[in-house]
Amino acid sequence: MSQRNRELIPSFSRPPSRVMIRKVARYEEDLLALIYESLREFELPVKDKTILLKPNLVGLDPQGVMNTHPAVIAATRESFLKLGASRVLIGDGPAMDRDTQAILESVRLKEFTGNLGKDFCDLNIDDVARVQLETRATRLKELFLPKTVLGVDFLVSMPKLKTHHWAGVTLSLKNMFGIVPGSCYGWPKNVLHWAGIDRSILDINAASRPDFAIVDGILGMEGNGPIQGTPKAAGVLLFGSDPVAVDATACRVMGLLPEKVNYLARAGTMLGHLEVSKIQQLGESIASVQTQFAVLPEFSRLLAS
Amino acid sequence: MSDESKRAENSPAESAPSSARLLANCSSLLRSLQNADGGWAFHAGEQSRVEPTCWALRALSNSDLAAGHQTFRKTIDFLHASQLADGSWPAAAQVNAGSWVTSLACSALSINRQSAKNVQAGLKWICEDFPRDSSPFRRFVQRLRPKSETVSQNDSYRGWGWTPRTASWVEPTAFALMALQAADPELLPKNAAQRRKLAIALLYDRMCPGGGWNCGNPRVYGVDGDPLVLPTCWALLALHGHEAQGDEGHGDDAQNDVPVKPGRALSLAWLQKEFAKIQSPGSLAAARMTLENYGVLPHEVPYEAHDEVHAASATRRLHDWTAHEFAEQGTHVLAWASMALNPSRRWPAISAPATTITSTASAAESRQGALP
Repeated sequence: MSQRNRELIPSFSRPPSRVMIRKVARYEEDLLALIYESLREFELPVKDKTILLKPNLVGLDPQGVMNTHPAVIAATRESFLKLGASRVLIGDGPAMDRDTQAILESVRLKEFTGNLGKDFCDLNIDDVARVQLETRATRLKELFLPKTVLGVDFLVSMPKLKTHHWAGVTLSLKNMFGIVPGSCYGWPKNVLHWAGIDRSILDINAASRPDFAIVDGILGMEGNGPIQGTPKAAGVLLFGSDPVAVDATACRVMGLLPEKVNYLARAGTMLGHLEVSKIQQLGESIASVQTQFAVLPEFSRLLAS
Repeated sequence: MSDESKRAENSPAESAPSSARLLANCSSLLRSLQNADGGWAFHAGEQSRVEPTCWALRALSNSDLAAGHQTFRKTIDFLHASQLADGSWPAAAQVNAGSWVTSLACSALSINRQSAKNVQAGLKWICEDFPRDSSPFRRFVQRLRPKSETVSQNDSYRGWGWTPRTASWVEPTAFALMALQAADPELLPKNAAQRRKLAIALLYDRMCPGGGWNCGNPRVYGVDGDPLVLPTCWALLALHGHEAQGDEGHGDDAQNDVPVKPGRALSLAWLQKEFAKIQSPGSLAAARMTLENYGVLPHEVPYEAHDEVHAASATRRLHDWTAHEFAEQGTHVLAWASMALNPSRRWPAISAPATTITSTASAAESRQGALP
């Protein structure tokens, strides 16, 4: 993926991005039908392709609050297979706990997806390849990234809708921190903190260029996220091919100003669209699903009102 | 593997013969996974890496790997060849900078006399690698700033980071302490004793309030951090070894005066209680080795319904998985399981049982002296 390092297109010359919002009250709903229908709207080039779903698996979470819900992951996997994908992998590299299996057991992923075998990839211990960072938002010249991420045809970022105590919000762009391998950079991936979280988000996304984003906002998290925050039901799933536009829309659903999120503001100049005028809204309107997420005092600037 | 053969490998009771059979399967599989270059990858068919190689060497050294064996020689050669000019080891072959795996390599190579120069160079690199967050300049700047309410930690303590010029974290600090402990004292740099004291103090400073460790955030934004099994295991193993050497973590100045034994006992009690809830083989193996290192015989008992808080949990045993299933989760997990199953392992050594405590032992009980 990043080895071909698709050209970065200035925001003004990009066509408008499409973002779809779907109302979903509970994880027990028919997610397969809903996600399949939503993906079809985007006419994605996934036939006979290898897909990697990159959920947000951040820690032990029996209550299903901090991680992307396994029902959403499983339904997305099924949907891509129905759309003709030859193989759909699931992979993440949890940032704080190297026992990925313990996290998978706690979220009961296998109950939803069946036995994944080699279709699950622990990105923390995958083989790595050197990737030169073209954007140089940080001082890092290169990162070593998992070959699985670099080798797939289509990369899908699948975050949870959450606030974040260092970055403001953690959505599809911040979720890509999870592709950086712990076996090289540790648990947590502290070198990215020293390089600057906001800037690192830009470098990682410019290098990996996720092709699609699906945000699990059925149950999100507010306040002191991404781990110790408070559950917040938002009742939505968001879809889109432009992760910046998806994240900007997610912020608006959370009652937050995306242009005040440092990394999103800068991502809007090189990775995708931030402005409402450049985003074609599909499905529900933002106003119809908007619910105010609480933020830490340090991020009060993000509040829309 | 068929269900039938899995059942044959894993008998219902974790008897000595079935443990021996699973251990033999693990050792055999581990040997078969060695790459032609002498190293091990995290998964079959991948590139050799220092970390899985070190764990594999540890596991096989515990069992039937004689020093003159070809597997042993090839492994040592791989580790020697992987060492960088500055004495450190990189996390992957393409990386040209040292990292936390230097501690693993020094520990693993300490069993081989012919590696003395390599170990000495590695230890020198470790002892010269100071984390950036606690440099005198940064501490001076921090003193000029308003007191942070986001985290509560003492930056005068210095451990080790995952990568150079970052911050101290629990696990790399524990691995470095273990490397210093495993080495021939003659190979240690002059500042090793001081580094050890500061690092032990750091471990206690970063302990979660209720015992145990996570990566190194005991409290963020006023909220207590939750401990995790693996960091707790590595920290406890590091502390146990250093206490055996008479190093209590009391430094030369008052800042290092930390309550060593109560904190360690509290953490051990947390691990003992957590043991029955562990659902993954990696954590289970590490926890078992740690408890046995402290002379605590863990009870892998079936889940008891009166433990209301964790009503959804059930006890797992290493026999719930096959050797191939360990390997699917990584060579390090296969190696840890091999070590945990080995009653005659040299590291981490099994201490004489001081007591047997069930999974419901409380922290209060441990503080009253039930734990060593």
